[in-house]
Amino acid sequence: MSENVARRGFLVGGAVLLATGCTSNEPAAAPSSAAPAPAPAASGNDQPGEKVVIGFSAPAADHGWIAAIAKNAEAAAKRYSDVEFKPVEPTNDINQQISAVESLIAAKVSALVILPNDGQQLNQVALQATQAGIPVVNLDRVFPDKLAYRTWIGGDNYGMGVAAGHFVGRKLKEKGVSDPVIVEIQGIATLPLTQDRSKGFADALKTYGFSVTAKQDAKFTVETGNQVATSLLQAHKKIDALWNHDDDQGVGVLAAIKEAGRNEFVMVGGAGSLNAMKEIQSGSSVLQATVTYSPTMASSAVRLARLIAQGKGMSDLVENQVPQSITLASETITKENVEKYLPLGFES
Amino acid sequence: MLVMRGIVKQFPGVRALDGVDLDVRAGEVHCLLGQNGAGKSTLIKVLAGVHQPDEGTITFNGAEARPGSPIDAIRLGFATIYQELDLVDGLSVAENIFLGHEHARLGFVDRAAGRRAAREVLERLGHPEIRPNAEVGRLPPAAKQVVSMARALSHDARLIIMDEPSAALAHDEVANLFRIIRELTAQGVAVVYISHRLEEIREIGDRVTVLKDGRTVAVGLPARDTPTSRVVSLMTGRDVEYVFPPRSSRPPGEEVLRVEGLSAPGAFSGVSFSVRAGEIVGLAGLVGSGRSEILEAVYGARRAAGRVLLGGRPVRRGVTHAVRSGMGLAPEERKAQALLLDQSVTANITLGSLPGFARFGWIDRGRERAEAARLADLLDIRPPDTERPVRTLSGGNQQKAVLARWLVGGRRLLLLDEPTRGVDVGARAELYAVIRDLADRGIAVLLVSSEVPEVLGLSDRVLVLREGTVIHEGDAAVLDEHRVLDMIMEGRAA
Amino acid sequence: MSEPTPPVRQAAGARGAQADAARTNLLSGLRGVGELRHLGLFVALALLVAVGLVTRPDAFATASNLVSVLSLAATIGVITVGATFVIIGGGIDLSVGAVMALASVWATTLATQSYGPVVMAVCAVLVGTGAGLVNGLLIAYGRLVPFIATLAMLVAARGLAQRMSDRKTQLVQQPDNGAIVSLSTTRVLGIPLLVYVFALVVVLGWVVLNRTTFGRRTYAVGGNPEAARLAGIDVRRHTMLLYALSGLCCGIAAILIMARTTTGSSTHGDLYELDAIAAVIIGGTLLTGGRGTIMGSILGLLIFTLITNLFILNGLNTSDQLIAKGLIIVVAVLLQRRNLKERAP
Repeated sequence: MSENVARRGFLVGGAVLLATGCTSNEPAAAPSSAAPAPAPAASGNDQPGEKVVIGFSAPAADHGWIAAIAKNAEAAAKRYSDVEFKPVEPTNDINQQISAVESLIAAKVSALVILPNDGQQLNQVALQATQAGIPVVNLDRVFPDKLAYRTWIGGDNYGMGVAAGHFVGRKLKEKGVSDPVIVEIQGIATLPLTQDRSKGFADALKTYGFSVTAKQDAKFTVETGNQVATSLLQAHKKIDALWNHDDDQGVGVLAAIKEAGRNEFVMVGGAGSLNAMKEIQSGSSVLQATVTYSPTMASSAVRLARLIAQGKGMSDLVENQVPQSITLASETITKENVEKYLPLGFES
Repeated sequence: MLVMRGIVKQFPGVRALDGVDLDVRAGEVHCLLGQNGAGKSTLIKVLAGVHQPDEGTITFNGAEARPGSPIDAIRLGFATIYQELDLVDGLSVAENIFLGHEHARLGFVDRAAGRRAAREVLERLGHPEIRPNAEVGRLPPAAKQVVSMARALSHDARLIIMDEPSAALAHDEVANLFRIIRELTAQGVAVVYISHRLEEIREIGDRVTVLKDGRTVAVGLPARDTPTSRVVSLMTGRDVEYVFPPRSSRPPGEEVLRVEGLSAPGAFSGVSFSVRAGEIVGLAGLVGSGRSEILEAVYGARRAAGRVLLGGRPVRRGVTHAVRSGMGLAPEERKAQALLLDQSVTANITLGSLPGFARFGWIDRGRERAEAARLADLLDIRPPDTERPVRTLSGGNQQKAVLARWLVGGRRLLLLDEPTRGVDVGARAELYAVIRDLADRGIAVLLVSSEVPEVLGLSDRVLVLREGTVIHEGDAAVLDEHRVLDMIMEGRAA
Repeated sequence: MSEPTPPVRQAAGARGAQADAARTNLLSGLRGVGELRHLGLFVALALLVAVGLVTRPDAFATASNLVSVLSLAATIGVITVGATFVIIGGGIDLSVGAVMALASVWATTLATQSYGPVVMAVCAVLVGTGAGLVNGLLIAYGRLVPFIATLAMLVAARGLAQRMSDRKTQLVQQPDNGAIVSLSTTRVLGIPLLVYVFALVVVLGWVVLNRTTFGRRTYAVGGNPEAARLAGIDVRRHTMLLYALSGLCCGIAAILIMARTTTGSSTHGDLYELDAIAAVIIGGTLLTGGRGTIMGSILGLLIFTLITNLFILNGLNTSDQLIAKGLIIVVAVLLQRRNLKERAP
């Protein structure tokens, strides 16, 4: 999805420039002409509109990905003169996040972007916001109650697994390996997102007649990634493919692989960090691809919140309003397309 | 009332009790005598339900009694007052007295009732001044002893075992203790009394049982009529009692310690004296007279105004400086203040003088062991194995290890606080000889003891303290116990 | 797992009853209880090795697997040595993991990295020692309870590490500062350099604890601080030095973690304090101080590391691993208590 966002961002940005001179339509004019003429908002979504205040609440960064989320949200808001960005102190404590959101409701912001520490536990406060008439854009970790939010935007964990599975499957088929040793290094095993990723990976591999030989969780940190990889490499003397769920912990995994002097297998990463992209670009690393779960979704969420608050739709779509749910595709970054993704990579 | 027959208790490598018999009648004070290590403490712990005997029978009032736990023992009516007080420092006096059988209603502690009851027991013990609310950890040792006794009384015990109850008590408090014991025995309570002070046993005891090496060597001797020499020889195989070594004929050397105007609010004030090389100076006084506190102040372990000079030079405050300038302290509570119980005898002996055995921080273990072995031999520490943990030694031998610590590396001044506390008769004489020998080698000794005969017999000069001030200073040889007691109790100067 | 230990000793006691003459021999034998206690740990370790040999005969007993177990143990092992000193000295240091993280972050900032690998290493050691010294000052002279002071350090050091790194993972610049990473990648006799560093720290720790005045005083200060004070030992100064030593070990561990992961990060060393303390306890060191050995702690740590290794080799999940570790801690402490009882007649 990040690709799409980037392209749209670029195009729309271009449109703004043009708009100052002329009032041309978006390039994709065909659908809009076929549909009942939408409100003027169909074009020039980036033009300053009604002044809106966007509240933002996310967990405290203990990880490069979360750090990038906060940074991207702020950067997206800064692009618009009509947006006042109101972030609250990030926290990893459910209770504190609830009161932070409550304070944003009390401040009567125009829209809320919330990445909850836990969707279940913050559902109630999100519902409160919605009932107070504040549209909530739910980022990534979903609230169970659809009444609690206006729009959900997030990555596709299952799809990540599928993308990684297809890459691995194709590579191994090309090599003609039968009965391959496929190893998976997960994040935190107990999280639903990890289980979704693993399921997608297994399902995609199944289409090639392969299955995962061993998996182990590594808690998303460099150090644990290193520890788990060190032992896994001992457990399996010959590996054909390795999928590491997370590029942050991947730094440690790669260090362990280099230390062990192993290079007989294909490694796929996850999330799309800058480090991983550079490794892929170098061409000399076992890391040949990474499947995205890009923190650019925070930029998109802020943009969506602005559109919703201003009552605009997404100009590429026919509908007058922003959709209820947007699932971003997990893309596969390889040596061939890495150039395009480099600007989107986040520093781990 | 209580009959024990052929009690055997085995510990790994040690046969602590090897066939002990004991008969205690209702309403009597039955004294248990024996050297340290003879098995008295183990026997008490069997009665208290802490240890279970491997062999033998215990009958109480005709019925078989086998206390399987301390709670069993209390239910049977046995109460024990240990030598090492087993009080909870952080709790109040009242809470300690009723620990385990609190005044409670529906699980809630009735604190007021507890306090009232505690006050009653303390009054009965003649110590109404101890507040039930006071924190036990802040009480002086003598008061802790009283609390410990109050706890035993609070159980309505029919058999009370007292392990060295007088060790921490001053003279008038001992008299008070005896009064309480007589009251109890008059009510038919039996008391098993353990003490190293033969004169006490003569005063309070009815019959005596003597233990030696885990066996009973004499049963039911009359406490008042048995000659001391016989008791001592039963315990030790030697005929000694309070044998003080002769004082040195040489005149004392130059002044080692000079104390000028030492004062600490609430403890002592305006204390000045000096100690010369080769001289033993004793401080006599009641508990609370400031005797131990003065020792601590000289050692730099307690804040005090005034000057302390060693060899004419003022000593910087702090224990480290005191030790560096040549002082050594054998503190009152050996186990709590002096010993590393789990460490070897060697490690305990060299603790105060480690740098002397080390080069660039590296310990020369050969030299260390050799020196420790030499000192262990000199002081006759038994068993002579210096690699044993100090915990396994008897009280007297532990005290010798503490003394040995300060014999390493040329101390100029030794401060001894109750050096023979909890030490049996035979070992006492040895300790006296050791202390005198040290003085004869030119060490200045400052001695504190609650036992007046000890102070008088061992010292060259005596300072008599009362309520924090020196009321008399004089030659020990010309004083007698009676006069000193008069001074410290009545305040009459000689 | 250490089950065999007590019976051995009981048997010894029984024999002592038979012959008086044998008693002295036995007593000296009993003194060896210190080593006997380690016997239990060796047995536990042997059991784990047996499990490894049975379940994964192909992967477990290889030289490279054993080397990797040692590499994994190295970082936390260095910290465990420091923790052993602190705990024998009657204290506790909860800040070890956070201090190591801080040292790794400080040493990998671009500013520090521009001075080269030697300065980076020195920086890590200084930061670690400095944080330890702060702990020590607060505890020895500020009279703070060790638990509280080091808990505060844990939180603050982690925070400072996050602040310095902006919560990013800082890569060790290669090839400029590759010397740091080569600690992990360069092998002598097939063993990475960092394992030698670990071994050196263990040996030095053992020597200091058993053969120097510093070590002897550590036992004294932990076993009976009052007695140590009255024997003329500057207890406060010594306490401060103990925490500084623990900090120093964290600094060294930071160098090792940078070598292994090629990064400095505020997430390094998460929950190390628990693993280190657990290893020390399993090794027979009393939390109340005054007793313990380096050897025991290292064996305890190796048991922990081996468990992790075995679980991964057999493809079992981490949750069961945690349960196994918890059980081992409990069993070890229960056995320890038995030791204590039997030893004091």
